[in-house]
Amino acid sequence: MMDRFALAYREQQQLFLFDKTYLVQCLFTVGGLATLSARFVVQFFWNPATAVILTLALLGLGAWLLWFSVRDKRARWAILPLCFIPFAFLAASLSENAMHFSVLTAWLIALGALCRYSCIRTHRLIRGILLTLAVYLAAGPAALLFALCAAILDFYRRQWASALYVAVAFAAGFGAWLLAWTPTLKAAWTPAFYFDLDTPMPWQHWIPWGVLPLTVLAAEASKPFLRRRLLVLAGSCAVFILALVPAFRLVKEAESRQPGITYEYEHYATNEDWDGLIKACRSHPWIPHTAQYLNLALSQKGRLLEDMFKYDQRGPTGLVQMSDDRGVSISQAHIMFAMGNMAAAQDIAFNTLNSTEGLCPAMLKMNARIELMRGTYAVADKYLSLLEKAPHYRQWAREQKSFLYNDAAVEADPLLGQGRRSWPVLDGFAMFGNPLEELLRVVDANPANRGAMEYALAYMLLTKDIKSVTALVNRYFGQPGLETLPVPVQEAVLFYSEYARNVGGADVMGPDWCATHGVTRETVRRFQSFQEASLKSGGKAPKGYSTSYWHYLLYKEI
Amino acid sequence: MRKNLCIGLMAGALLLGSCSGDIHPSGSIGSLPPMEPDYSFVTVPRNIAPLNFSYTGNGECALQVEGRTIRGKDGLFSLPERLWKKMMEKEEVEMTVLVRQGEAWKSYQPFKIYVKEAIDPYLSYRLIPPGYQGWQKMGIYQRDLTSYRQTAILSNDLTDGNCMNCHATAGGDPSKSVFHVRAAHGGTMLIDGDSIEKLNTKTDSTISALVYPYWHPSGNHIAFSVNQTLQSFYNHGHDRIEVYDMASDVVVYDIRSKEIAWSPLTKREDRFETFPTFSPDGNWLYFCSAEAVEMPKDHKAVRYGLYRIAFNARDMRFGDSLECLYDAPAEGYSVSFPRISPDGRFLCYTRHGYGNFSIWHKDADLWMMDLETLERWPLEAANSPETDSFHSWSSNGRWMVFSSRRLDGLYTRPYFTYIDEEGKASKPFLLPQKDPNAYYKRLMDSYNLPAFMNGPLKMSKHRIVSEIRESPGTDVKVK
Repeated sequence: MMDRFALAYREQQQLFLFDKTYLVQCLFTVGGLATLSARFVVQFFWNPATAVILTLALLGLGAWLLWFSVRDKRARWAILPLCFIPFAFLAASLSENAMHFSVLTAWLIALGALCRYSCIRTHRLIRGILLTLAVYLAAGPAALLFALCAAILDFYRRQWASALYVAVAFAAGFGAWLLAWTPTLKAAWTPAFYFDLDTPMPWQHWIPWGVLPLTVLAAEASKPFLRRRLLVLAGSCAVFILALVPAFRLVKEAESRQPGITYEYEHYATNEDWDGLIKACRSHPWIPHTAQYLNLALSQKGRLLEDMFKYDQRGPTGLVQMSDDRGVSISQAHIMFAMGNMAAAQDIAFNTLNSTEGLCPAMLKMNARIELMRGTYAVADKYLSLLEKAPHYRQWAREQKSFLYNDAAVEADPLLGQGRRSWPVLDGFAMFGNPLEELLRVVDANPANRGAMEYALAYMLLTKDIKSVTALVNRYFGQPGLETLPVPVQEAVLFYSEYARNVGGADVMGPDWCATHGVTRETVRRFQSFQEASLKSGGKAPKGYSTSYWHYLLYKEI
Repeated sequence: MRKNLCIGLMAGALLLGSCSGDIHPSGSIGSLPPMEPDYSFVTVPRNIAPLNFSYTGNGECALQVEGRTIRGKDGLFSLPERLWKKMMEKEEVEMTVLVRQGEAWKSYQPFKIYVKEAIDPYLSYRLIPPGYQGWQKMGIYQRDLTSYRQTAILSNDLTDGNCMNCHATAGGDPSKSVFHVRAAHGGTMLIDGDSIEKLNTKTDSTISALVYPYWHPSGNHIAFSVNQTLQSFYNHGHDRIEVYDMASDVVVYDIRSKEIAWSPLTKREDRFETFPTFSPDGNWLYFCSAEAVEMPKDHKAVRYGLYRIAFNARDMRFGDSLECLYDAPAEGYSVSFPRISPDGRFLCYTRHGYGNFSIWHKDADLWMMDLETLERWPLEAANSPETDSFHSWSSNGRWMVFSSRRLDGLYTRPYFTYIDEEGKASKPFLLPQKDPNAYYKRLMDSYNLPAFMNGPLKMSKHRIVSEIRESPGTDVKVK
């Protein structure tokens, strides 16, 4: 029911810091305790399995707290299944990442207060009012749930004054709005408080908020029948199972509303699990977004040119897509970084640094690395010091700190040194025009940058610009970034050589040139076979060459 | 008996504590102590909050000042309020940092802090990540300079995460303020006494909504630029960002009639005009102007000079000619942010190689111009190798606050410098904090447009937010 990668992505929308200022800033806001505890839990979500286990454990804890509040001595366990229903819907609500995880911790605080309230025997009214106010401060509008549930419990005991709790909770929300602690009354009183502030909340997120008091009502209503324990238990189980159907449907609806971020890909990219990323992408590489991640993974493994045509490539948008909106595309930052276009990577990485719940760790790491490449050590130190306060990133940050104010170490490091040498010499703006122009500037600055060289050649191959491929090979073959010629590049060069000879006798790119520029005899032999097979196939793509560049060049529409 | 023993131990501990002033250094170190922020030999206003600072060397440390010794806690010297007030009664104060080396204490070279007249008690600024293009949270804040208290005037978590910018007060009076809200709920918010109004300032005759503001001393007019601004990220390693105008003009808004007016000389097709400023007597409108070129292709060829035009506030009329006060392009420079001292004698501006958004130019420095002689000089003591830009005068004309990137090269921080009668600056000091080293290192926002205020803005956030969210806004007209 819960997408483990969507949960794991929450970890990339915050950076929990063991830092007094951070803790105080989180805590001293409306719903601060719920926010802080949610962020504390979410910091462990970097592992998707842990994310699922922790979320399920907290949902289970919520169900238990609810059961504890409404249980009856006569049939302790009979209504337990009923108590899981609101949490099934809450889980559905949480499957949309715009709904903050703090909604769950806020519920736990409210239900913890309900447990406490159910044990109070003296001065119930005044203590209930105080609890309502405390829950509002600690958890926000979830206090309304506490107030409503407490009032329902008391109505069954004919304590009508408890209706006052609901009024107190509304008054607390009104006060929060007057003090500008919340932007609107809607946020002060409704689950919209826990939703992304700049996005309208879909109505589906109201459902768990309605189901919880209904569950309390149902639990109380079932108490006269508790002598028939088995009947109540069976009914309770049946209702729970029935409730799972709409809950699943809500999950599907939430998934359809998710932004175009593919959480699974992002998880693998963030954790630099390139094999995992290839595995996740390979089933549908024709989707540009998927192809971008796939090609990123191939590039990181140094296999972009060698392996890219083993997958169904459909043009240069599968490599990189320039977008005016640089604020939402973490994947673009990864791609620009892999391309060696550090300015573009930083442009995006900085704009993507601030997430809904705080700093995005992956983007903070990228910014720190680029600052080290720039040699702006004070800024790098600032970012690394923040990462050092987050347990999961502490070790990495400490290792990177060894590069601070140490130019020799930076230059000797394969990644940082490569980046430092790859800043374009020519003046210009990043992400301003054609991605290829910017790639060529990086290659010009540092022909040893294999990532940039691979991406440049891949871009030319995908745009079927074999003339430029040949020119680039002519210029850089034999240099550190292009010591050998990957097979698809050999195929492109060979094809252009043949074409050039046919149209105008460009003998400079003839067989001798090909032989001295990395084209192997095996490729030449296969090319001859391909030509013969093509002639025989009568215009159709010959069999046995589907992973060759010739197949892409002649038979794929882009 | 046990109770007496406890009291005795406590008294002993207190005595020991008070004896901490009795450190006698057995030697000296012939240099100033390494410290953050560097407050050595700075000039401070009498009413500023204590200048706590950190010793950034190794080992146990202490600070001797006014016959008292303060032990450093993790290097941080927290100056007690009462002691600080006593220090601020003097003309100058000497401080000595001591450091323990083995069993012995050594003293660094002592340094002084010079005390001058008081500063306006409040500072307003925007806190925002250093302006690439994205943000999640930003806000306009006010800081009590006599303490460490900062409060939000408005933060964008209350207005659906939109952008808010260009706040300005009339001569430091927060009850006459203006700022813009962009995107959702967009408009120009005008606070005038107890009232607040949202204005829709884009007209058919102007290229954009109103942008950079400056209040007329009468409080009845505000000069604005209108700009078509873009921002791009450099592809090389030396600079990061260029913010540039594709077109810009200067106009004046009449608060009473809700009308915009301009002169043909401040709204020319062949020139970019921006950064308007009124003279303290209100009779001149100063602004920067550059020859229009093809943008962004020729962005490095744009250089702004300093101009002024006569202005008659009574009938919103402009003079017939422009006066060039500084032809910076002829010298290969560009000027931005002209700001005139309250007595009208000096004009401080930012000088840099090209363009107008000096905050992204490392070569940007503060320069002063004597408006009587038109003589110009750099504020050498205030400038740094990093960007030193946007500046604002105190109401008594003796202090200036400006934005500087000297701490780390990226995040702007507010610095204060004393301006003497000759228009020369003193060594500036960084806005004090309880633990400034930790605070500034941790803060992921830049201080944007710091400006003095004579008190806090008292209008409630709720009132401001309600007007922003609920008012459709009033359309301004063209005169």
